[in-house]
Amino acid sequence: MMSDLLQATFVVGVLAGMFRVATPVLFAALGELITERSGVLNLGVEGCMLVGGFVGFLVAILSGSLWAGVAASMAGGAVMGILVAFMSTTLKVEQIVTGLSLNLFASGITFYWYRVVFRSDEITNIPTITPFRPIEIPFLSEIPYLGELLFSQYALTYLALLLVPVIWFLLYRTKQGLHLRCLGENPRALDMRGVNVTRLQYLAVVFGCMMAGLGGGFLTTVSVGLFIPGITAGRGWLAIVIVIAGNWKPQQILAAALIFGFLESLQLNLRGLGQELPYQIFLALPYIVAIAILIRGRMRSEAPLSLGVPYLRE
Amino acid sequence: MIGVDEKVTKLTFKFQRRTEPSRLGQALAVPVALVAALAVSSILIRAAGANVAEALEAMYLGAFGSQNALLETLVQATPLIFTGLAVTVAFRARIWNIGAEGQLVAGAITAYWASVTFSGLPSIALIPTVLFFATVGGALWGIIPGYLKVRFEADEIIVTVLLNYVIQYLLSYLLSGPWRDPNAFFIQTRLLPEAATLPILFSKSRLHLGFVIALTVAFVAYVLLWKTSLGYEIRALGYRPNVARHKGINVAKTIVLVMAISGAIAGLAGGTELFGIHPRLRLDAMHGFGFTGILVALLGRLHPGGVVLAAILFGALVNGSSRMQIVTGVPVALVYAIQSIVILFLMAADGLSRFQLRKR
Repeated sequence: MMSDLLQATFVVGVLAGMFRVATPVLFAALGELITERSGVLNLGVEGCMLVGGFVGFLVAILSGSLWAGVAASMAGGAVMGILVAFMSTTLKVEQIVTGLSLNLFASGITFYWYRVVFRSDEITNIPTITPFRPIEIPFLSEIPYLGELLFSQYALTYLALLLVPVIWFLLYRTKQGLHLRCLGENPRALDMRGVNVTRLQYLAVVFGCMMAGLGGGFLTTVSVGLFIPGITAGRGWLAIVIVIAGNWKPQQILAAALIFGFLESLQLNLRGLGQELPYQIFLALPYIVAIAILIRGRMRSEAPLSLGVPYLRE
Repeated sequence: MIGVDEKVTKLTFKFQRRTEPSRLGQALAVPVALVAALAVSSILIRAAGANVAEALEAMYLGAFGSQNALLETLVQATPLIFTGLAVTVAFRARIWNIGAEGQLVAGAITAYWASVTFSGLPSIALIPTVLFFATVGGALWGIIPGYLKVRFEADEIIVTVLLNYVIQYLLSYLLSGPWRDPNAFFIQTRLLPEAATLPILFSKSRLHLGFVIALTVAFVAYVLLWKTSLGYEIRALGYRPNVARHKGINVAKTIVLVMAISGAIAGLAGGTELFGIHPRLRLDAMHGFGFTGILVALLGRLHPGGVVLAAILFGALVNGSSRMQIVTGVPVALVYAIQSIVILFLMAADGLSRFQLRKR
């Protein structure tokens, strides 16, 4: 068993899987970062992912185009985002309750829609699509080990990794990013400078949910090629934990997402080896680690000050 | 109000935020939300290609059409009364316990353990023992996030959500390993001990003792929240946490206590449902009661009486939907969408009742 673990192919398999498995939570976490930087605490990430995953799958299967499915998953997330923004920014309803209700709404509506479209209760006849294949970058993917690890990933995985520096640049090197960070700290100051606070918050929330939707779309169009009600299995919540663990900074969020990706990838690869420990321990591990992170995460130095507090203009 | 404000200023009216929500608006919020949700449901039923009136009639008859239908509605409502109350006690203190789902499973696990361990006892002693252990299991699973919140400031929303997954995997382990019925194909336990099953209230129905216990707990929760000093502390904590601290309330102790009570009630949902309805403990048997309990608590306006009514309404939806699916082919899953849509409209109506239309 130990010798199996140390084999290079096993290690490379786990690490290559880490990037793939981390992709959906990375999308969702980067989106949630933008949302929370605008001062809105969106607890509906799980719901946005679920809607994105379902709509993406549905459009992919109906149109026959995986990329149409990916676009649709973003659109599905965006629609959820408009709901989140309308409830929290316009109506100023309790954001915690909004997020929770939207999660339940997402799970109910996707379950119903799935049943209406596919109609079959039988387990034998689950509709599937042929998921994306990894992109093997010419020459580079042929490098031993490193090729499999870094240069034969999925297009969307490359996109998620690319998004990390892009969002960093947006947040810290552009005027809009400065406004966004200010919005989560002190919306009044921004309002007084004549910036349209509502518009900026709407944009941030819709973008955030769009990314969560894309994360959900990755699950159905890349990871598995099918939709099961509740397929997100808590990944939206892990994304929220990842934002906290990453201290609201893009590069640290990437690191946290990769840690969760590693844990899940390890579990997937260990299953093939037939180890003696009950496999449920490995399945539960990401959630237990997430709780441990929350215990240690008391120093939330970068948490936006006005997070979750609706802005009221006097 | 900005977004709305700017659009409406061109007219002669404008939206203004009230200092206090309008009483009329608050009173109307529930009926308005129910009507709006009914309208959306009609659209969803149409989308499934069915006749709306036919589907709604089938649903009504399925839920209330006969004495048996009515009793079955109460069967469906029973676990929701418990989980709704569990959420109510916590939310009243603004402690966001999203973990009723997991605490229910914890209660079912400890209750099952007790039923096997004390299986020699006669029914009259075994049932109280089993239910006692159901509350203990739920309470323990609730105390964990409460303690982590008090001691480490770990956010209870996320911790309770994560613990829901952890307990699910623990149950999965128990069912596939130590507790597995070796003669069964599915992962499930052996048949539950006969002596531990709850008595049925009306012959030829499934309505069990759990319903009476649920109503009792609702009454106790009302007394607890409004007639005891702990209840005062709970509501003070929810209303003005800082003031509560200054009034000499031991906030840390109250938080852990609230999570224990909330978890205990959710655990009781697991215990009564398992020994009232199910022949064995299985993985998927009690899915969703905890989450629906959040919606029940919100629709019931965080009041035990309201929770009972909301639970019966949601129980009726679940029960009626089976007949709807048979008659019209509209999937049962519709009710899960409807339940959350009711709450979204309710919150929107609450939000709107904080605004008023003024002449400029």
